[in-house]
Amino acid sequence: MPEFLEAAIIGVGLGAQYALLALGFTLIFGILGVVNFAHGGFYMLGGYVAYSCVSGLGLPYPLAVLVAVLATAALGWVFELLMIERLIDDHLATLMLTLALYLIISTGVLTVFGPISMEFTFPVGGAFRAGPIYVPRENLIVLAVCLAAIAALYLVLFRTDLGRALRALADDRAVGMALGLRPRLLFPAAFALATGLAGLTGALVTPILSLAPGVGDPVLATSFLTVILGGLGSLGGAALAAFIVGIVEAYTSVYFGGSAGALVLFVMVLLLLVFRPTGLLGRDVRGA
Amino acid sequence: MHGRPAGLIRRLGGAEIAAVAIFIVAFAIPISTKSVLVYSVLNQVLVGVVATFSVWIMLRMNLLSFATPAFMAIGGYTVAIAGRYDITDAFLLTAGAFIMPALVAVPLGALVLRLRGTYFVLVTFVLSQIMQLVLFETPGLTGGSNGIAGIPPGTLLGTELASNQQVLLFACGLALLATLITALLTRYFRQHFAAIEENEILAESLGLVVWRYKALGFVVSAGVAGLAGYSLVNMLLTAHPSSFDSITAVDFIAYTIVGGRASILGPVVGSSLLIYATNLFGTHGQYAQGLYGVLIMVVILAARGGIVGTIGTLLRRRP
Amino acid sequence: MAAGMELRVESLAKQFGGLRVFSEVTFSLEPGGLMGVIGPNGAGKTTLINVISGRQAPSDGHVLLDGRDVTGKPAHALSRLGVARSFQQTNIFRSVSVRENISRAVRFGQRGVQPGLDRLLSEFGLTERLDEQSDKLPYGLQKMLGLVMAFATRPSVLLLDEPAAGLERGERSRIDAFVQHVREAAGCSVLIVEHDMDLIRRLCPRVLVLDAGAVLADGAPAEVLARPDVIAAYLGDAEAEAA
Repeated sequence: MPEFLEAAIIGVGLGAQYALLALGFTLIFGILGVVNFAHGGFYMLGGYVAYSCVSGLGLPYPLAVLVAVLATAALGWVFELLMIERLIDDHLATLMLTLALYLIISTGVLTVFGPISMEFTFPVGGAFRAGPIYVPRENLIVLAVCLAAIAALYLVLFRTDLGRALRALADDRAVGMALGLRPRLLFPAAFALATGLAGLTGALVTPILSLAPGVGDPVLATSFLTVILGGLGSLGGAALAAFIVGIVEAYTSVYFGGSAGALVLFVMVLLLLVFRPTGLLGRDVRGA
Repeated sequence: MHGRPAGLIRRLGGAEIAAVAIFIVAFAIPISTKSVLVYSVLNQVLVGVVATFSVWIMLRMNLLSFATPAFMAIGGYTVAIAGRYDITDAFLLTAGAFIMPALVAVPLGALVLRLRGTYFVLVTFVLSQIMQLVLFETPGLTGGSNGIAGIPPGTLLGTELASNQQVLLFACGLALLATLITALLTRYFRQHFAAIEENEILAESLGLVVWRYKALGFVVSAGVAGLAGYSLVNMLLTAHPSSFDSITAVDFIAYTIVGGRASILGPVVGSSLLIYATNLFGTHGQYAQGLYGVLIMVVILAARGGIVGTIGTLLRRRP
Repeated sequence: MAAGMELRVESLAKQFGGLRVFSEVTFSLEPGGLMGVIGPNGAGKTTLINVISGRQAPSDGHVLLDGRDVTGKPAHALSRLGVARSFQQTNIFRSVSVRENISRAVRFGQRGVQPGLDRLLSEFGLTERLDEQSDKLPYGLQKMLGLVMAFATRPSVLLLDEPAAGLERGERSRIDAFVQHVREAAGCSVLIVEHDMDLIRRLCPRVLVLDAGAVLADGAPAEVLARPDVIAAYLGDAEAEAA
């Protein structure tokens, strides 16, 4: 019984992390039409920047996380403005550009930090106990921060003019532009928002899991599974799917061990594509 | 020059004929030299080109496939497992290495290729990640994290392919076969693939059953990747999960884009040059991907046709 | 002469998420018939063509061809059954020649060569330009090429999405010639979505008005275009068009 509840808490925690990643990915895909292959790279970069701040500059961890967010957001902004903007309508080209960026980030990290895992630990140790239930405090803190970030994102997207503009552009760019919305300002903003979220997640989670080159790949795969499950382009779907993925992963790893979770999820997604290709909350998916 | 020879070249495709010729000539290399370095690089190139053809076939229809390592794994492990049962006939193994991944591609293609192209990219990416897991989690079949070592050498028409020279010549043969298959497919369906690549909505509204051609391409692409897997396993005499790491998909994509996606010579040029360049990195091979990243950016932003495309444009401009 | 087909649309509806594009659209187009569909921007006219031609699936309702239910079939299936459409933006294969464009249309359609195609090509001056790359043609000709390609698939029903959009005033008579030709030579039924009221008045014996996702009126142009509610629906748009 205690494992059941612990798994639930871990699952929700994972879900919150995946939600931040999936929401960011969906923002970029929905608004710009870009499949961000560098998403895992920004996650990884967030971890490494936070690590550098803590161990290299001696900054306190929360400040390091903030720096990581700003750094990944800034890189995202510049990248979108200088590279993606030129080829915004060519989806294959923008995908290749993000892939290229991922390769450069990956190799850069490898060059600067080397291939071994970094000693990066969460500053708060110990565990929370309630009767037989045992949950590490770090997981709870990360969960809280992620939920706060999701709430903040919701407020920005649904309660501010910027958010409304972004969602309008996502729905129909031509109409949005006819209404006077300026993609040249808004697209980099959307991209930066998403990469900042990825960096935040990386800075929070890598001290708990691990920080090494290559941690970005499974993050990318999970993001892909999540957005397919939720429905490509749907923010609500991405969030919902993220929690489902997190909980499934937590339970399969507690009760079955190993990597059964990823396999289960993949099969789930394939079955979903058979019966309901739009995903949980998605829209028209018909190709040719 | 007019008349039948020129017409024939145009029908079969100048680039395709050149590609086939290159791999016929390649047979001469293992015969004329014994250099270990040449053997090593050539073998890597022969494997790499075939895998790159697999990516190129789908890219002809504007679809980016990350599934190459997964299909290579199916092909390679089929050969390795067959070796356990003392099946060593090269023709049988070649057929098996092609057919097994192709069979997997059939239902997968039917599922994903009717949807938007984005789904294809995402699903193939996840497929390669999953394949790694499958390999690790099925030790009874695949040897798990140890893989399958000590694969018996293949036999071709009674001769055992045991020496390095024989292995390399066989790799040349596989590469030639893959080139022929790729060239025939893309040449015969040139109109269809080109229409899908340029404007698939228009193609479909004119009556083309687009997803069927995408599926056909996917199945052949999977089979060709299987041949690459056979070639790799044959070279190493071992089938190991690390040979089919999902990240290698990026390498093959890089070779296609940098070499030039519009011509069958693109994968040939791209993989030869980049594999050779990676060898120059020596023990620092892991930095090669950074180079690929930079090259991809340069090509996408400034020289869309890749190496072959850019050369072609420059040649056409000559007075 | 090919037999035409009856196109019947019953309670057709399309919505995206919460956005209802159109609903309860019902009409019938007899074999060889001709009707126009008009309405302010955003009324759902292009989506209507997308749904009928199979590019998008309807949320509700039915599409019937000669009584046969073809609802939800994909675009290639409907094309094979004889429903062809043109696109608002010029939609041709830009990187290849005019000849190759036509060749692809005939080949992909798999319904054989359309008699009367050559006459149409020469009427629009495309015969002399068969080997030119299609995106080197002037815009008006590119538009006509797109129409000719749709016709080349030997349709029985032709859905034209703003065929006159982007054409100079002088070029618009080509549309008249095109519509007349396809109806006479091949017995096609034609449905035209348009903003050009003169063209609609000239050509269409019948017009359907779509506004805010619903059918506002359906009848002869003289009568429909004089209705106050139709005029009101267009008031904002008419000013924009005059500008």
